[in-house]
Amino acid sequence: MDILTVSHLTKVYGEGASETRALDDVSFSIEEGAFVAIVGSSGSGKSTLLHLMGGVDRPTSGRVLLSGHDVYSRTDDELAVFRRREVGLIYQFYNLVPVLSVVENMTLPVILDGRPINQARLASLLDTLGLKGREGHLPSQLSGGQQQRVAIGRALMNAPSVVLADEPTGNLDTKNSCEIMQLLRDSNRVLGQTMVVITHDEEIALAADRIIAVEDGSIVRDERIRR
Amino acid sequence: MRSLSGYTVRSLRANKVRTGVTIAGVALAAALLTAVFTTFSSLAHFLYQMEVHASGTWMASAQTQDLARFSDGLARAAKDPSVEHVAVLSTVGYGELTPEQQDMLGQSQPIVSVEGDAGELLGIRPSEGRFPEHEGEILLFEVWPEQGARVGDDLTFSVGTLQRPAEDDPSAEVQVVDGSARTYEVVGFFDRANLELSSDVGVSALTVGDADEASSAVAYLSFSGMGSAEGVEEAAEGLFPDARVKLHSSLLRYMGISSGASIWATFIGIVVVLASVIMLSCVSLIYNAFDISVAERIRQFGLLSSVGATRGQLRRVILLEAFLVALVGIPLGILVGLGGCWATFAWVGPLISDLAGGLGIPFEVAVDGRMLGVAAALTLVTVIISAWIPAKRASRTNIIDAIRATGTSRISKRGRAQAERATDPERIWRGAGIGARIFGVGGYLARASRKRTRSKGRAASVSLALAVVLLVTAGSLNVLLSLLTGAVMGGEPAGEVSVTAQAKEGGRPDGAPLAAQERMQMRNGELAEEERAFQGAFSALAGAPDAQPVGWYLAGSCPITMPKQMVGSALEEGGIYGVETASGEIATMARLSYVSDDAFDAYAESLGLDPERFREPGAVRAIGVAKGYGNDGTKYRLMQVLREVGTVSAVTAAVAGGTTPMTVNVAAEERTESGFVGYAVWGDDTVAMGESYPLEELDIATLPLEVAAIADEPPVLAGMHGEGVSLIVPMSLAQTTCLVEQDPVFRSYFDPVDGDHAALAQQLNDIGHVCFSSEEMPFELAFVSYNDHQAEMDSNQVLSMVVNVFCLLFAAILALIAMANVFNTVTNSLILRRREFAVLKSIGMSNGQFRRMIVDECAAFGVAGLIPGLLISAGVSFLLWWAVSRSLDGLAFTLPWAYVGAALLMTVVAMALSVAYGLRRCSADNVVEALRDE
Repeated sequence: MDILTVSHLTKVYGEGASETRALDDVSFSIEEGAFVAIVGSSGSGKSTLLHLMGGVDRPTSGRVLLSGHDVYSRTDDELAVFRRREVGLIYQFYNLVPVLSVVENMTLPVILDGRPINQARLASLLDTLGLKGREGHLPSQLSGGQQQRVAIGRALMNAPSVVLADEPTGNLDTKNSCEIMQLLRDSNRVLGQTMVVITHDEEIALAADRIIAVEDGSIVRDERIRR
Repeated sequence: MRSLSGYTVRSLRANKVRTGVTIAGVALAAALLTAVFTTFSSLAHFLYQMEVHASGTWMASAQTQDLARFSDGLARAAKDPSVEHVAVLSTVGYGELTPEQQDMLGQSQPIVSVEGDAGELLGIRPSEGRFPEHEGEILLFEVWPEQGARVGDDLTFSVGTLQRPAEDDPSAEVQVVDGSARTYEVVGFFDRANLELSSDVGVSALTVGDADEASSAVAYLSFSGMGSAEGVEEAAEGLFPDARVKLHSSLLRYMGISSGASIWATFIGIVVVLASVIMLSCVSLIYNAFDISVAERIRQFGLLSSVGATRGQLRRVILLEAFLVALVGIPLGILVGLGGCWATFAWVGPLISDLAGGLGIPFEVAVDGRMLGVAAALTLVTVIISAWIPAKRASRTNIIDAIRATGTSRISKRGRAQAERATDPERIWRGAGIGARIFGVGGYLARASRKRTRSKGRAASVSLALAVVLLVTAGSLNVLLSLLTGAVMGGEPAGEVSVTAQAKEGGRPDGAPLAAQERMQMRNGELAEEERAFQGAFSALAGAPDAQPVGWYLAGSCPITMPKQMVGSALEEGGIYGVETASGEIATMARLSYVSDDAFDAYAESLGLDPERFREPGAVRAIGVAKGYGNDGTKYRLMQVLREVGTVSAVTAAVAGGTTPMTVNVAAEERTESGFVGYAVWGDDTVAMGESYPLEELDIATLPLEVAAIADEPPVLAGMHGEGVSLIVPMSLAQTTCLVEQDPVFRSYFDPVDGDHAALAQQLNDIGHVCFSSEEMPFELAFVSYNDHQAEMDSNQVLSMVVNVFCLLFAAILALIAMANVFNTVTNSLILRRREFAVLKSIGMSNGQFRRMIVDECAAFGVAGLIPGLLISAGVSFLLWWAVSRSLDGLAFTLPWAYVGAALLMTVVAMALSVAYGLRRCSADNVVEALRDE
């Protein structure tokens, strides 16, 4: 069953001579529980695609359906609620709030949603992510790998149905990259969360169930990996 | 370096708002410095014009006793290109005056011969007619027409030399000797006598030629291109080596080519202090702008460094930015400053001109290129100081740190400690603080940001607090100044215009020696005569066409001894100047006022008393005023001087040895049985002049005076409370009984019918000249004065207004700096965290939550400036009030609420603008763009 459907999605930046077509009539679907890698060269439009799937930006045309609901039929505030509950976003540069502790950063989407913190889930995530003992640390007191684990924890805290990760290992060394990918794969396998990962790393891409290659704003290859 | 210059220009263009705010800060500095220096140059110009008006444009004078020796100097001056103008005044002689003329013109009429441009050099302007052009013509001082002189008249003087009397004969007067008759045709009159034309014997008249070669002469000179007073002196001495050279120092000072004058040094000191305050305030503003600008681009500097830019090159990028910003901001600021001066002077200039004597010299903007140059140079220094530390920071950028930097928030130690505690999911997010309670998670995030970082907003808050303090302090000064003006004026005088006079002390009575009782009888007669004469004068004055008479009274001092129980607490508090007598009574000098009967009757009736009781034959009764001003050693305040009614004993006459009248004073230092001492006005065989004697040793006359009632307030006519004990009696008593120890002062009050107090004062003056003349009065007057109280009050109000305007302008300008500083800091700190905000939005922060967070952050900046600012202001206002109320009682402490309101408004406006701009810059549309900025 498809959880995410992208239909004729187009995103144009600028006007006239400075017009840039970041995405051009892109369509595909992702099954629930899939682990999808989106690959492409720099500037190919893969980050734009991820932002549009995550409800961060609005498309010029086309639709994104999550669990059958049109993401962009929502108002701005409804989109904010959608981002809290339905998707988890992970960035290459972690994008943690520098003045908040590990626990505060991880629980921020829950608090923004006005709901009580699921303490069991928090404890489990801290344990799984190897952040026990670092709950009160600020991002500046953590290594890059640890910061990315906090970002993953923040993305998973609300148990979203889809996790969107933009080059999550792009800023990490090999050891940390392996550990982070293992965490994402475990989350996909154990929790059944749909995982969409943008990457340059061929090895990471090959570990996915499906690889979608984007070039110049269009899908040039959509390949399912058989194991 | 050329490529980095291009980078600098592109950086400035890329962030137009930041560049604009920085330029505005520089322009503000330039405008304020221009305003201060232009005010200085305008004031100097105004004073210069006043000096020129009073004394002319001469810069140096050379005096000789021999005109013949002058010719060489004059010839040299004619050839010297640095000499602009020369005028020579040589003495012709002194004209003899008639006794009537001497009354108005002085002891003789000095006549001087003029050669050259005396009009401009000496500031002499004919108010009628012209300068003398031919021998035998004369220009006279303006008082001559009052002696009947007219243009075209021939005037003949006996002109001779002046013979001064010997110094040991003060009664002798100067005399004109060796005179010969000379006749002059009057060609005009001049209206202002300056120092150069005035002498101890009279104001000079001007003629042409006629001077004796051997007479004394003064050459007046003006030069061009002189840079110092010494240069002027040397030039004058070079031209006239044998003459005594004098400099026109005040003019040279106002021209800026003289130094060392203490008043001028004080004035320059004030300008230096103001300029320093402005520079410091503006450094905080401009530094903040550059600091934030560098922090914003630290990544770019890291990149530039990584591709080979040297530290010097990076430093020069910021300094070049500073220079470019100054290039635009300084001319703009100078124009704004000049415009501000022009607008302000258009408003307060006429008031200052009036205050300075109303000579018709306008107080207007005097643009001085040198002053503008100084303002521009100081602004450039301000900009360079402001940019220097940010420039050094940019040059020391660590490449790795800069490129890896994901946030710009610098965490404080306290922030780390707080985060360490933020681990319990049960307790976090339930953060303390009003912001978190009002604004929810937005408030919590704002608080975390504020409390856990090294806040960039501190400078803005300090700046805001400073502006609040200055604004509220200016308000307190304004309030206190108004209260003080009211207190010093003693409330409203009984009338807008008053006429005051006093009879001249009668002098030693001729004839047989008088005993005290006889002297008292004589004083009774004298007072009755004074009362009749002043009643006549008051009636005459009341006949002025525009006068609405208010009333009159006679007031003098009256030595009294009174029972102790009558005296109020003022005695114990030291507020009454009195001593205890041997019999246990209190001796003091009371102020006794004979108030015109109708005014007294109205006063008595207002107190529920029967006025007739105070006119019963044989009874000497007064109304006592319960309160009087006194100084208890710490402050000057109203005190209880009389407690209950009773009978006091008034000393009405004191005589020594039957011949020498004494004035009576409280025996303050030497204790006497009577509590009083008599002071010998004249000496004779029995007492020495000027010596004090215990009153009990003298022949004195006393009179019982019943204080029949006590009133809280004095009669309206007698104005405010006086000092010590004050007693009021009806004027009719003056016909029979003299209670005052010396001739009383006549005070009469009038209001103008149509509000024109100046015209009324002039009318009273005209009438007074006649009715107080020796023909009309049976006695000589010590003085007559005509007081336009309304004009004094108007003048005080104008002065107060001018001070207020300058206080307010200065406070308003500093408030503007603070607002710009707050806006700059708040908006830039928001813009710097744009990426952080984008992340918050990307994980689900709604627009409402975001807005609440920004409002909380901005409100916190405002509160952090406003609260300490108001507290300090209240403290400063209290100290000001305390300082004033230490010496003057009755001033209630109050905060200047209008100014407090203005401070609140200023804060709210600064915050609202910052929030509006910050929200616009960090709106949802920028989320993707901000996240892409990696």
